[in-house]
Amino acid sequence: MARMTRREFLRASGVTVAVSSVAGCASRSGAPTAAATPSDLAPNRKGRRVIVIGGGWGGATAAKYVRMQDPSIDVVLIEPNKRFVSCPFSNLVLSGVRSIGSLTFGYDGLREQYGVKIMRDTATALEPDARRVRLGGGFLTYDRVIVAPGVDFQTEQIEGLADAGDRVLHAWKAGPQTVALARQLKEMPDGGVFVLSIPPAAYRCPPGPYERACQVAWYLKTRKPRAKLIVLDANQNVISKPALFRAAWQAYPNLEYRASNKVVKVDPGARAVTTDFGDTVRYDVVNVIPPQRAGAIAVQADLVGADKRWCEVNHVTYESVKTKDVHVVGDATIGIPAPKSGTVANSMGKIAATAVVHLLNGRPAPEMPPINTCYSWVSDSEAMAVINAYRIENGKVVQIEQKLTPGQSTLYAQHATAWATSIWADILA
Amino acid sequence: MRALVIVAVLTAAFGTARAAPAGPTDTPGFTKAFSCSACHGRAGASRADAVPVLAGMPAWYFKKAIDDYATGRRPSPEMEPFAKMVRTLGVDEIAAYFAAQPREPSPLGVDRTASVNGRGAASQCAACHGDDGRGDQAKGAPPLAGQPPGYLLNQMKLFKADKRSPGDENLTKVKALMKSIDDTTLSALAAYYSSLGR
Repeated sequence: MARMTRREFLRASGVTVAVSSVAGCASRSGAPTAAATPSDLAPNRKGRRVIVIGGGWGGATAAKYVRMQDPSIDVVLIEPNKRFVSCPFSNLVLSGVRSIGSLTFGYDGLREQYGVKIMRDTATALEPDARRVRLGGGFLTYDRVIVAPGVDFQTEQIEGLADAGDRVLHAWKAGPQTVALARQLKEMPDGGVFVLSIPPAAYRCPPGPYERACQVAWYLKTRKPRAKLIVLDANQNVISKPALFRAAWQAYPNLEYRASNKVVKVDPGARAVTTDFGDTVRYDVVNVIPPQRAGAIAVQADLVGADKRWCEVNHVTYESVKTKDVHVVGDATIGIPAPKSGTVANSMGKIAATAVVHLLNGRPAPEMPPINTCYSWVSDSEAMAVINAYRIENGKVVQIEQKLTPGQSTLYAQHATAWATSIWADILA
Repeated sequence: MRALVIVAVLTAAFGTARAAPAGPTDTPGFTKAFSCSACHGRAGASRADAVPVLAGMPAWYFKKAIDDYATGRRPSPEMEPFAKMVRTLGVDEIAAYFAAQPREPSPLGVDRTASVNGRGAASQCAACHGDDGRGDQAKGAPPLAGQPPGYLLNQMKLFKADKRSPGDENLTKVKALMKSIDDTTLSALAAYYSSLGR
């Protein structure tokens, strides 16, 4: 079934009259403009409504788990993309081990099985006093909102990056850029240089860049044995699973890792990047993973802290410490001692949904700790992992234990695939 | 469902939040088991080959597995932290929750020929796990029926290599048995037990 357009959504929501002032629809002469008097895109007359902003790992999970626990609550998920593309496993697209199609899923399950209303749109503003979310030419009202905006890139932090456009790819939001970077890698001459730039922590998926290094190095070793990968890491060391990654890199003499090498400038004309030491590194293909902060809506709504980057939340309810009835989940959060991973976002989505359902029913939110599992593929067939378990102590998340797999293996690769199969279904099916 | 809707309408009409009637949220263990679904599927109904089905797992075996993982007797870097977490959340409640779920066999297909061959090789397994693969608590033998073939095969290989519960004297016999069986037959056994109870 195709995704609902806004018009279909309005029809399904029983709204027929107010449509004329929605942006994009022809307005009658004399009708108020959308900007002057934003209209309620779907008046909520029936009961309680939860709006979820962002249909990624945290948001889509939250939308499902609210409906699963209390189908009397109306849930609207606002997501601009037609399809969900998994960031986890997308490094395998670069090496050709997986296709992007195998990581791409629709939102039909959320709509058809759980009755989540999906609006393919972008939330442009949050108005907590009026309890409404602005989008298009209008707004939607809520009782509680779960903000799951993921990350946005701070391209202004690297000279030349904003103007480089598609000539310098991040491929850090799985989708067209992932496919484009895979193509660039494939077309790179044997003997060429691939430069991968890693931003300073915190960023989405701490082990992700190092897994990417493995996948690119594996591909080059297999297909372009004279080519080389240079990893320029703004951090002082590999920031996740360092011993495991360094052990894996023993198999890749074509990989040169340079710690404390922060890329400050990119020049696609000269095909070169410059580090904060003033070193210039020439490339045939470059992949700059830019510094990151919470997605735009979180910044616009001033949910971010003094650093203007991340959102602090209550550890039990995921309600913003700054704004009432606004919950934040996923990579946009900070302060919970868990990494910005897909598993954590999924976990936060469930917990926030449970809190919201309880609070809307006049009950205290139960104390539920998150979990983390991060598998990293170190070749086409082997993976390793880090696992974190938590508990709640005095209202705060504290870690019970972190474990690493003792090494890499095909068994852990099987587990990685099992994890992905299960968690994608947990989010969307 | 209807009751929930009625209450929602009433709540809206009177403009006050009030406690909802009993819903799924009130089932003991329901929310505590949410974490597990990331890998083990909704309500323990695993769809993945390498992850066991928890739905319908008897409580005694669930608790034994959690205990063995948490103490490191059954070494697993992936399960040990979560087993400790399950203990802090309340293992009895979570075990009872999964035991109460309808048993849901793995949806993954099994090789028919392998399954037939496995049946022929299963007599020694049946002595403890039963002809129907439903297990026997008195013998400490868990149910095998309907588990994913990949999970069953991996466990047999771990037994064979003495990597599962190393040094556990109760498992000496089963490990000796696994060592006497070639890997092709282990695959056949996995296919056979996975096919049972579907």
